[in-house]
Amino acid sequence: MSVIVVPARPRRPWLVAGWIAVTAVVVLAFWSIDINWVRLVDLPSEIVRYLFLMFGSPNWEKLPEALWQTWRSVEMAWVGTVLGILLATPLSLFAARGFGPAWLRSLLRGLFSLIRAVPEIIIAVVILSVTGLTPFTGALALAINGIGTLGKWGYEAVEGVSPGPIEAARAAGAGTSQVLRWGVWPQAAPTFWSFWLYRFEINVRSSAVLGLIGVGGIGDMLTSYTQYREWSTVGVLLIVVVIVTMLIDWASGVIRRRIMEGARARVLV
Amino acid sequence: MQAKSSSFSCRTGSFFPRTVAPLTETLQMAVIATAVGALISLPLSFWAARSTNPNAFWRVLVRGILNVIRSVPDLLYAAVLVAMVGVGALPGILALLLFNVGIIVKLVSEAIDTNEDGPLEAGRAVGATQAKINRTLALPDAWPAFANQTLYVFELNVRASSVLGLVGAGGMGLLIDSVRTFYRYDQLSLIILEILIVVVVIDVASSAIRRRLV
Repeated sequence: MSVIVVPARPRRPWLVAGWIAVTAVVVLAFWSIDINWVRLVDLPSEIVRYLFLMFGSPNWEKLPEALWQTWRSVEMAWVGTVLGILLATPLSLFAARGFGPAWLRSLLRGLFSLIRAVPEIIIAVVILSVTGLTPFTGALALAINGIGTLGKWGYEAVEGVSPGPIEAARAAGAGTSQVLRWGVWPQAAPTFWSFWLYRFEINVRSSAVLGLIGVGGIGDMLTSYTQYREWSTVGVLLIVVVIVTMLIDWASGVIRRRIMEGARARVLV
Repeated sequence: MQAKSSSFSCRTGSFFPRTVAPLTETLQMAVIATAVGALISLPLSFWAARSTNPNAFWRVLVRGILNVIRSVPDLLYAAVLVAMVGVGALPGILALLLFNVGIIVKLVSEAIDTNEDGPLEAGRAVGATQAKINRTLALPDAWPAFANQTLYVFELNVRASSVLGLVGAGGMGLLIDSVRTFYRYDQLSLIILEILIVVVVIDVASSAIRRRLV
Protein backbone atom coordinates (compact mmCIF):
# COMPACT_ATOMS: atom_id res chain seq x y z
CA MET A 1 0.00 0.00 0.00
CA SER A 2 1.77 3.07 -1.20
CA VAL A 3 1.22 6.42 0.41
CA ILE A 4 -0.44 8.96 -1.85
CA VAL A 5 1.72 12.06 -2.00
CA VAL A 6 -0.28 15.20 -2.61
CA PRO A 7 1.81 17.78 -4.47
CA ALA A 8 2.16 21.10 -2.68
CA ARG A 9 -0.01 23.95 -3.89
CA PRO A 10 1.94 26.24 -6.21
CA ARG A 11 2.92 29.45 -4.43
CA ARG A 12 2.52 32.68 -6.29
CA PRO A 13 4.29 35.27 -4.18
CA TRP A 14 3.72 38.19 -6.57
CA LEU A 15 -0.01 37.55 -6.57
CA VAL A 16 -0.09 37.75 -2.77
CA ALA A 17 2.07 40.88 -2.86
CA GLY A 18 -0.30 42.37 -5.43
CA TRP A 19 -3.33 41.71 -3.23
CA ILE A 20 -1.58 43.25 -0.23
CA ALA A 21 -0.63 46.33 -2.27
CA VAL A 22 -4.16 46.76 -3.66
CA THR A 23 -5.71 46.38 -0.21
CA ALA A 24 -3.25 48.89 1.24
CA VAL A 25 -4.05 51.46 -1.44
CA VAL A 26 -7.80 51.04 -0.96
CA VAL A 27 -7.55 51.28 2.84
CA LEU A 28 -5.34 54.35 2.53
CA ALA A 29 -7.83 56.01 0.16
CA PHE A 30 -10.74 55.32 2.52
CA TRP A 31 -8.78 56.50 5.53
CA SER A 32 -7.46 59.71 3.99
CA ILE A 33 -10.44 60.97 1.97
CA ASP A 34 -12.33 63.93 3.36
CA ILE A 35 -15.88 62.59 3.54
CA ASN A 36 -18.41 63.01 6.30
CA TRP A 37 -19.26 59.31 6.67
CA VAL A 38 -22.13 60.09 9.03
CA ARG A 39 -24.07 61.27 5.99
CA LEU A 40 -24.04 57.73 4.64
CA VAL A 41 -26.37 56.57 7.42
CA ASP A 42 -29.44 58.40 6.13
CA LEU A 43 -28.37 58.18 2.49
CA PRO A 44 -30.60 55.20 1.51
CA SER A 45 -33.73 56.84 2.88
CA GLU A 46 -32.75 60.13 1.24
CA ILE A 47 -32.28 58.45 -2.14
CA VAL A 48 -35.66 56.74 -1.88
CA ARG A 49 -37.23 60.10 -1.01
CA TYR A 50 -35.63 61.80 -4.02
CA LEU A 51 -36.54 58.94 -6.35
CA PHE A 52 -40.13 59.42 -5.26
CA LEU A 53 -39.87 63.18 -5.82
CA MET A 54 -38.46 62.59 -9.31
CA PHE A 55 -40.56 59.70 -10.55
CA GLY A 56 -43.58 59.81 -8.25
CA SER A 57 -45.41 62.33 -10.39
CA PRO A 58 -43.19 63.39 -13.33
CA ASN A 59 -43.98 66.82 -14.73
CA TRP A 60 -45.03 65.76 -18.25
CA GLU A 61 -45.77 69.37 -19.24
CA LYS A 62 -42.02 69.80 -19.69
CA LEU A 63 -41.80 66.85 -22.08
CA PRO A 64 -41.92 68.89 -25.35
CA GLU A 65 -39.11 71.15 -24.13
CA ALA A 66 -37.12 68.13 -22.96
CA LEU A 67 -37.51 66.45 -26.36
CA TRP A 68 -36.53 69.66 -28.15
CA GLN A 69 -33.36 69.98 -26.03
CA THR A 70 -32.59 66.31 -26.60
CA TRP A 71 -32.87 66.96 -30.32
CA ARG A 72 -30.30 69.75 -29.91
CA SER A 73 -28.00 67.32 -28.14
CA VAL A 74 -28.40 64.70 -30.85
CA GLU A 75 -27.69 67.36 -33.51
CA MET A 76 -24.55 68.29 -31.59
CA ALA A 77 -23.52 64.65 -31.51
CA TRP A 78 -24.21 64.21 -35.23
CA VAL A 79 -22.27 67.31 -36.32
CA GLY A 80 -19.47 66.34 -33.95
CA THR A 81 -19.33 62.84 -35.43
CA VAL A 82 -19.29 64.04 -39.06
CA LEU A 83 -16.64 66.68 -38.31
CA GLY A 84 -14.61 64.12 -36.40
CA ILE A 85 -14.76 61.69 -39.33
CA LEU A 86 -13.66 64.40 -41.79
CA LEU A 87 -10.72 65.37 -39.56
CA ALA A 88 -9.69 61.89 -38.43
CA THR A 89 -9.88 59.84 -41.64
CA PRO A 90 -7.02 61.51 -43.54
CA LEU A 91 -4.92 61.55 -40.36
CA SER A 92 -5.58 57.87 -39.72
CA LEU A 93 -4.39 57.03 -43.23
CA PHE A 94 -1.09 58.79 -42.64
CA ALA A 95 -0.75 56.95 -39.33
CA ALA A 96 -1.08 53.54 -41.01
CA ARG A 97 2.01 51.48 -41.74
CA GLY A 98 2.91 51.66 -45.42
CA PHE A 99 1.12 54.95 -46.18
CA GLY A 100 2.96 57.58 -44.17
CA PRO A 101 6.63 58.22 -43.33
CA ALA A 102 7.76 56.72 -40.01
CA TRP A 103 8.26 60.05 -38.21
CA LEU A 104 4.77 61.24 -39.15
CA ARG A 105 3.30 57.91 -38.11
CA SER A 106 4.66 58.02 -34.57
CA LEU A 107 3.80 61.73 -34.29
CA LEU A 108 0.16 61.10 -35.22
CA ARG A 109 -0.13 58.04 -32.97
CA GLY A 110 1.21 60.10 -30.09
CA LEU A 111 -1.35 62.80 -30.87
CA PHE A 112 -4.18 60.25 -30.93
CA SER A 113 -3.28 58.83 -27.52
CA LEU A 114 -2.77 62.32 -26.12
CA ILE A 115 -6.29 63.30 -27.20
CA ARG A 116 -7.72 60.06 -25.84
CA ALA A 117 -6.26 60.85 -22.42
CA VAL A 118 -8.12 64.18 -22.10
CA PRO A 119 -11.83 64.07 -21.19
CA GLU A 120 -13.90 65.85 -23.88
CA ILE A 121 -15.39 68.25 -21.35
CA ILE A 122 -11.91 69.71 -20.75
CA ILE A 123 -11.46 70.17 -24.50
CA ALA A 124 -14.78 72.02 -24.49
CA VAL A 125 -13.65 74.23 -21.59
CA VAL A 126 -10.47 75.10 -23.50
CA ILE A 127 -12.11 75.95 -26.83
CA LEU A 128 -15.17 77.79 -25.50
CA SER A 129 -13.00 80.86 -24.85
CA VAL A 130 -12.65 81.09 -28.62
CA THR A 131 -16.04 79.87 -29.83
CA GLY A 132 -18.30 80.89 -26.93
CA LEU A 133 -21.09 78.94 -25.25
CA THR A 134 -22.83 77.57 -28.33
CA PRO A 135 -23.83 74.08 -29.44
CA PHE A 136 -21.10 74.38 -32.07
CA THR A 137 -18.52 74.42 -29.25
CA GLY A 138 -19.94 71.13 -28.08
CA ALA A 139 -19.80 69.66 -31.57
CA LEU A 140 -16.23 70.86 -32.06
CA ALA A 141 -15.14 69.39 -28.72
CA LEU A 142 -16.70 66.06 -29.72
CA ALA A 143 -14.97 66.23 -33.11
CA ILE A 144 -11.54 66.90 -31.58
CA ASN A 145 -12.07 64.17 -29.00
CA GLY A 146 -13.20 61.89 -31.82
CA ILE A 147 -9.86 62.29 -33.60
CA GLY A 148 -8.29 60.31 -30.76
CA THR A 149 -10.51 57.25 -31.05
CA LEU A 150 -11.41 57.40 -34.75
CA GLY A 151 -7.76 57.91 -35.69
CA LYS A 152 -6.64 54.87 -33.71
CA TRP A 153 -9.41 52.58 -34.97
CA GLY A 154 -8.80 53.92 -38.50
CA TYR A 155 -5.14 53.04 -38.80
CA GLU A 156 -5.78 49.69 -37.13
CA ALA A 157 -8.44 48.95 -39.76
CA VAL A 158 -6.17 50.03 -42.62
CA GLU A 159 -3.31 47.89 -41.30
CA GLY A 160 -5.65 44.96 -40.82
CA VAL A 161 -6.59 44.53 -44.48
CA SER A 162 -5.09 41.66 -46.43
CA PRO A 163 -2.16 42.76 -48.64
CA GLY A 164 -3.31 40.91 -51.78
CA PRO A 165 -5.62 43.55 -53.30
CA ILE A 166 -3.08 46.31 -52.46
CA GLU A 167 -0.39 44.40 -54.30
CA ALA A 168 -2.74 43.83 -57.21
CA ALA A 169 -3.56 47.56 -57.41
CA ARG A 170 0.15 48.43 -57.28
CA ALA A 171 0.90 45.88 -59.98
CA ALA A 172 -1.71 47.50 -62.19
CA GLY A 173 0.14 50.81 -61.76
CA ALA A 174 -2.00 52.54 -59.14
CA GLY A 175 -0.70 55.53 -57.19
CA THR A 176 -1.13 55.86 -53.42
CA SER A 177 -4.60 57.39 -53.62
CA GLN A 178 -5.77 54.74 -56.07
CA VAL A 179 -4.32 51.98 -53.87
CA LEU A 180 -6.32 53.41 -50.98
CA ARG A 181 -9.47 53.64 -53.09
CA TRP A 182 -9.30 50.21 -54.74
CA GLY A 183 -6.98 48.17 -52.52
CA VAL A 184 -7.85 49.28 -49.00
CA TRP A 185 -11.30 50.91 -48.90
CA PRO A 186 -13.40 47.99 -50.25
CA GLN A 187 -11.99 45.76 -47.50
CA ALA A 188 -11.94 48.27 -44.65
CA ALA A 189 -15.27 49.99 -45.39
CA PRO A 190 -17.50 47.81 -43.16
CA THR A 191 -15.13 48.30 -40.22
CA PHE A 192 -15.03 52.05 -40.82
CA TRP A 193 -18.82 52.40 -41.05
CA SER A 194 -19.22 50.28 -37.96
CA PHE A 195 -16.91 52.33 -35.75
CA TRP A 196 -18.26 55.62 -37.15
CA LEU A 197 -21.68 54.57 -35.93
CA TYR A 198 -20.23 53.45 -32.61
CA ARG A 199 -18.58 56.86 -32.23
CA PHE A 200 -21.97 58.47 -32.84
CA GLU A 201 -23.36 56.44 -29.92
CA ILE A 202 -20.51 57.67 -27.71
CA ASN A 203 -21.12 61.26 -28.85
CA VAL A 204 -24.82 61.09 -28.00
CA ARG A 205 -23.87 60.28 -24.41
CA SER A 206 -21.14 62.91 -24.33
CA SER A 207 -23.30 65.67 -25.81
CA ALA A 208 -25.64 65.33 -22.83
CA VAL A 209 -22.63 65.73 -20.54
CA LEU A 210 -21.25 68.75 -22.42
CA GLY A 211 -24.52 70.56 -21.74
CA LEU A 212 -23.48 70.73 -18.10
CA ILE A 213 -20.93 73.45 -18.84
CA GLY A 214 -23.57 75.47 -20.67
CA VAL A 215 -23.25 74.69 -24.39
CA GLY A 216 -26.94 73.87 -24.64
CA GLY A 217 -28.92 70.69 -25.05
CA ILE A 218 -30.33 68.26 -22.51
CA GLY A 219 -27.43 68.59 -20.05
CA ASP A 220 -27.97 72.33 -19.85
CA MET A 221 -31.64 71.86 -19.06
CA LEU A 222 -30.81 69.21 -16.45
CA THR A 223 -28.38 71.50 -14.62
CA SER A 224 -30.82 74.38 -14.43
CA TYR A 225 -33.76 72.31 -13.20
CA THR A 226 -31.51 70.52 -10.69
CA GLN A 227 -30.47 73.91 -9.35
CA TYR A 228 -34.10 75.06 -9.09
CA ARG A 229 -34.71 71.71 -7.32
CA GLU A 230 -37.65 71.02 -9.66
CA TRP A 231 -37.39 67.29 -9.11
CA SER A 232 -40.48 66.31 -11.07
CA THR A 233 -38.92 67.87 -14.19
CA VAL A 234 -35.51 66.29 -13.49
CA GLY A 235 -37.32 62.93 -13.42
CA VAL A 236 -38.78 63.57 -16.90
CA LEU A 237 -35.35 64.58 -18.21
CA LEU A 238 -33.71 61.42 -16.89
CA ILE A 239 -36.46 59.26 -18.42
CA VAL A 240 -35.96 61.02 -21.78
CA VAL A 241 -32.16 60.58 -21.61
CA VAL A 242 -32.48 56.86 -20.85
CA ILE A 243 -35.04 56.19 -23.60
CA VAL A 244 -33.29 58.23 -26.30
CA THR A 245 -29.87 56.75 -25.49
CA MET A 246 -31.20 53.20 -25.54
CA LEU A 247 -33.10 53.81 -28.77
CA ILE A 248 -30.06 55.23 -30.55
CA ASP A 249 -27.83 52.43 -29.23
CA TRP A 250 -30.34 49.84 -30.40
CA ALA A 251 -30.77 51.37 -33.89
CA SER A 252 -27.06 51.86 -34.33
CA GLY A 253 -26.40 48.31 -33.14
CA VAL A 254 -28.86 46.89 -35.66
CA ILE A 255 -27.25 48.85 -38.51
CA ARG A 256 -23.74 47.85 -37.38
CA ARG A 257 -24.61 44.18 -37.30
CA ARG A 258 -26.20 44.52 -40.74
CA ILE A 259 -23.01 46.12 -42.09
CA MET A 260 -20.60 43.67 -40.47
CA GLU A 261 -22.53 40.45 -41.08
CA GLY A 262 -24.43 41.33 -44.24
CA ALA A 263 -28.09 40.63 -44.88
CA ARG A 264 -29.65 37.48 -43.55
CA ALA A 265 -29.80 34.96 -46.34
CA ARG A 266 -33.41 34.34 -47.30
CA VAL A 267 -34.15 30.67 -47.70
CA LEU A 268 -36.21 30.13 -50.84
CA VAL A 269 -38.72 27.36 -50.34
CA MET B 1 6.83 68.00 -23.15
CA GLN B 2 9.98 70.01 -22.26
CA ALA B 3 8.97 72.89 -24.48
CA LYS B 4 5.53 72.93 -22.94
CA SER B 5 6.68 73.12 -19.33
CA SER B 6 9.20 75.88 -20.00
CA SER B 7 6.50 78.04 -21.58
CA PHE B 8 4.60 78.23 -18.30
CA SER B 9 4.77 81.65 -16.70
CA CYS B 10 6.48 81.84 -13.33
CA ARG B 11 3.10 82.56 -11.73
CA THR B 12 2.14 78.98 -12.46
CA GLY B 13 4.96 77.78 -10.26
CA SER B 14 3.15 79.06 -7.22
CA PHE B 15 -0.08 77.47 -8.43
CA PHE B 16 1.21 73.90 -8.25
CA PRO B 17 0.79 73.46 -4.45
CA ARG B 18 -2.90 74.35 -4.81
CA THR B 19 -3.40 71.45 -7.24
CA VAL B 20 -2.01 68.72 -4.96
CA ALA B 21 -5.04 68.28 -2.70
CA PRO B 22 -7.63 68.17 -5.54
CA LEU B 23 -5.47 65.75 -7.51
CA THR B 24 -5.17 63.50 -4.46
CA GLU B 25 -8.93 63.65 -3.98
CA THR B 26 -9.45 62.68 -7.63
CA LEU B 27 -7.30 59.58 -7.14
CA GLN B 28 -8.98 58.73 -3.81
CA MET B 29 -12.40 58.91 -5.47
CA ALA B 30 -11.28 56.68 -8.33
CA VAL B 31 -9.76 54.08 -5.98
CA ILE B 32 -12.74 53.93 -3.61
CA ALA B 33 -15.32 53.84 -6.41
CA THR B 34 -13.42 51.07 -8.21
CA ALA B 35 -13.01 48.95 -5.06
CA VAL B 36 -16.62 49.24 -3.90
CA GLY B 37 -17.91 48.91 -7.45
CA ALA B 38 -15.91 45.72 -7.99
CA LEU B 39 -17.21 44.23 -4.73
CA ILE B 40 -20.83 44.94 -5.67
CA SER B 41 -20.32 43.77 -9.26
CA LEU B 42 -18.88 40.33 -8.55
CA PRO B 43 -22.06 38.66 -7.23
CA LEU B 44 -24.22 40.62 -9.69
CA SER B 45 -22.11 39.38 -12.62
CA PHE B 46 -22.86 35.78 -11.67
CA TRP B 47 -26.48 36.74 -11.35
CA ALA B 48 -26.55 38.25 -14.83
CA ALA B 49 -24.79 35.39 -16.66
CA ARG B 50 -26.73 32.54 -18.20
CA SER B 51 -24.36 29.74 -17.21
CA THR B 52 -24.30 30.68 -13.53
CA ASN B 53 -27.95 31.68 -13.15
CA PRO B 54 -30.49 29.37 -14.77
CA ASN B 55 -33.36 31.53 -13.54
CA ALA B 56 -34.27 33.61 -16.61
CA PHE B 57 -36.59 36.01 -14.77
CA TRP B 58 -33.98 37.31 -12.30
CA ARG B 59 -31.28 37.33 -14.96
CA VAL B 60 -33.31 39.51 -17.33
CA LEU B 61 -34.38 41.76 -14.46
CA VAL B 62 -30.78 42.42 -13.31
CA ARG B 63 -29.63 42.98 -16.89
CA GLY B 64 -32.53 45.30 -17.65
CA ILE B 65 -31.97 47.48 -14.60
CA LEU B 66 -28.26 47.72 -15.35
CA ASN B 67 -28.94 48.61 -19.00
CA VAL B 68 -31.07 51.53 -17.84
CA ILE B 69 -28.43 52.62 -15.31
CA ARG B 70 -25.68 52.39 -17.94
CA SER B 71 -27.46 54.66 -20.40
CA VAL B 72 -27.05 57.75 -18.19
CA PRO B 73 -23.53 59.29 -18.26
CA ASP B 74 -21.70 59.58 -14.93
CA LEU B 75 -21.58 63.37 -14.99
CA LEU B 76 -25.37 63.59 -15.17
CA TYR B 77 -25.61 61.33 -12.12
CA ALA B 78 -23.08 63.56 -10.39
CA ALA B 79 -25.07 66.71 -11.20
CA VAL B 80 -28.23 65.22 -9.68
CA LEU B 81 -26.45 63.61 -6.70
CA VAL B 82 -24.72 66.88 -5.77
CA ALA B 83 -28.16 68.43 -5.35
CA MET B 84 -29.19 65.45 -3.19
CA VAL B 85 -26.27 64.88 -0.83
CA GLY B 86 -24.37 68.17 -1.11
CA VAL B 87 -21.05 69.17 -2.65
CA GLY B 88 -17.93 67.04 -2.23
CA ALA B 89 -16.37 63.69 -2.97
CA LEU B 90 -19.34 61.62 -1.80
CA PRO B 91 -21.72 62.38 -4.72
CA GLY B 92 -18.77 61.89 -7.08
CA ILE B 93 -18.04 58.45 -5.68
CA LEU B 94 -21.71 57.49 -5.84
CA ALA B 95 -21.95 58.61 -9.47
CA LEU B 96 -18.84 56.60 -10.38
CA LEU B 97 -20.26 53.59 -8.51
CA LEU B 98 -23.46 53.52 -10.54
CA PHE B 99 -21.48 53.77 -13.74
CA ASN B 100 -18.89 51.14 -12.66
CA VAL B 101 -21.38 48.48 -11.64
CA GLY B 102 -23.15 48.90 -14.97
CA ILE B 103 -19.97 48.36 -16.97
CA ILE B 104 -18.26 45.64 -14.90
CA VAL B 105 -21.36 43.46 -14.64
CA LYS B 106 -22.00 43.68 -18.39
CA LEU B 107 -18.45 42.77 -19.39
CA VAL B 108 -17.84 40.11 -16.72
CA SER B 109 -21.20 38.37 -17.20
CA GLU B 110 -20.45 38.17 -20.94
CA ALA B 111 -17.05 36.67 -20.12
CA ILE B 112 -18.64 34.10 -17.78
CA ASP B 113 -21.02 33.10 -20.58
CA THR B 114 -18.15 32.51 -23.00
CA ASN B 115 -16.17 30.39 -20.50
CA GLU B 116 -16.00 26.61 -20.86
CA ASP B 117 -19.20 24.81 -19.88
CA GLY B 118 -17.42 21.51 -19.14
CA PRO B 119 -16.51 22.12 -15.49
CA LEU B 120 -20.01 23.41 -14.72
CA GLU B 121 -21.55 20.33 -16.27
CA ALA B 122 -19.22 18.13 -14.21
CA GLY B 123 -20.38 19.96 -11.12
CA ARG B 124 -24.03 19.36 -12.01
CA ALA B 125 -23.23 15.70 -12.71
CA VAL B 126 -21.90 15.12 -9.19
CA GLY B 127 -25.00 16.80 -7.81
CA ALA B 128 -23.61 20.12 -6.59
CA THR B 129 -26.00 23.01 -5.97
CA GLN B 130 -25.82 26.03 -8.29
CA ALA B 131 -24.24 28.10 -5.51
CA LYS B 132 -21.50 25.51 -5.01
CA ILE B 133 -20.89 25.24 -8.75
CA ASN B 134 -20.57 29.01 -9.03
CA ARG B 135 -18.18 29.32 -6.12
CA THR B 136 -15.86 26.43 -6.85
CA LEU B 137 -16.01 26.09 -10.63
CA ALA B 138 -17.21 29.30 -12.30
CA LEU B 139 -15.42 31.75 -10.01
CA PRO B 140 -11.82 30.61 -10.75
CA ASP B 141 -12.59 30.90 -14.47
CA ALA B 142 -14.07 34.35 -14.06
CA TRP B 143 -11.17 35.87 -12.07
CA PRO B 144 -8.98 36.95 -15.01
CA ALA B 145 -11.89 38.69 -16.78
CA PHE B 146 -13.00 40.28 -13.53
CA ALA B 147 -9.54 41.63 -12.68
CA ASN B 148 -9.10 42.83 -16.25
CA GLN B 149 -12.38 44.74 -16.38
CA THR B 150 -11.84 46.20 -12.92
CA LEU B 151 -8.52 47.61 -14.09
CA TYR B 152 -10.18 49.00 -17.22
CA VAL B 153 -12.88 50.65 -15.13
CA PHE B 154 -10.22 52.10 -12.84
CA GLU B 155 -8.67 53.82 -15.87
CA LEU B 156 -12.09 55.20 -16.83
CA ASN B 157 -12.67 56.37 -13.25
CA VAL B 158 -9.45 58.36 -13.11
CA ARG B 159 -10.49 60.19 -16.30
CA ALA B 160 -14.04 60.73 -15.05
CA SER B 161 -13.19 61.76 -11.50
CA SER B 162 -10.85 64.45 -12.83
CA VAL B 163 -13.85 66.29 -14.32
CA LEU B 164 -16.69 65.40 -11.93
CA GLY B 165 -15.85 68.53 -9.93
CA LEU B 166 -17.20 70.67 -12.78
CA VAL B 167 -20.65 69.94 -11.35
CA GLY B 168 -19.40 70.17 -7.75
CA ALA B 169 -18.61 66.52 -7.07
CA GLY B 170 -15.07 66.88 -5.70
CA GLY B 171 -11.58 66.40 -7.11
CA MET B 172 -9.71 68.23 -9.82
CA GLY B 173 -12.85 69.52 -11.56
CA LEU B 174 -13.62 72.03 -8.81
CA LEU B 175 -10.30 73.67 -9.52
CA ILE B 176 -10.93 73.61 -13.27
CA ASP B 177 -14.21 75.40 -12.66
CA SER B 178 -12.68 78.15 -10.52
CA VAL B 179 -9.76 78.69 -12.90
CA ARG B 180 -12.16 78.78 -15.84
CA THR B 181 -14.24 81.61 -14.41
CA PHE B 182 -11.11 83.79 -14.08
CA TYR B 183 -9.77 82.87 -17.54
CA ARG B 184 -6.47 81.73 -16.02
CA TYR B 185 -5.40 79.59 -18.95
CA ASP B 186 -1.83 79.29 -17.65
CA GLN B 187 -3.23 77.55 -14.58
CA LEU B 188 -5.69 75.51 -16.64
CA SER B 189 -2.85 74.20 -18.79
CA LEU B 190 -1.01 73.02 -15.66
CA ILE B 191 -4.15 71.20 -14.48
CA ILE B 192 -4.61 69.53 -17.87
CA LEU B 193 -0.94 68.55 -17.94
CA GLU B 194 -1.25 66.97 -14.48
CA ILE B 195 -4.38 65.03 -15.50
CA LEU B 196 -2.60 63.88 -18.65
CA ILE B 197 0.44 62.65 -16.73
CA VAL B 198 -1.66 60.81 -14.14
CA VAL B 199 -3.86 59.20 -16.80
CA VAL B 200 -0.89 58.10 -18.90
CA VAL B 201 1.01 56.71 -15.88
CA ILE B 202 -2.04 54.74 -14.74
CA ASP B 203 -2.69 53.43 -18.27
CA VAL B 204 0.92 52.24 -18.57
CA ALA B 205 0.85 50.66 -15.09
CA SER B 206 -2.45 48.88 -15.70
CA SER B 207 -1.34 47.51 -19.07
CA ALA B 208 1.79 46.17 -17.34
CA ILE B 209 -0.43 44.47 -14.73
CA ARG B 210 -2.70 43.18 -17.50
CA ARG B 211 0.20 41.44 -19.20
CA ARG B 212 0.93 39.58 -15.94
CA LEU B 213 -2.72 38.56 -15.63
CA VAL B 214 -3.17 37.11 -19.09
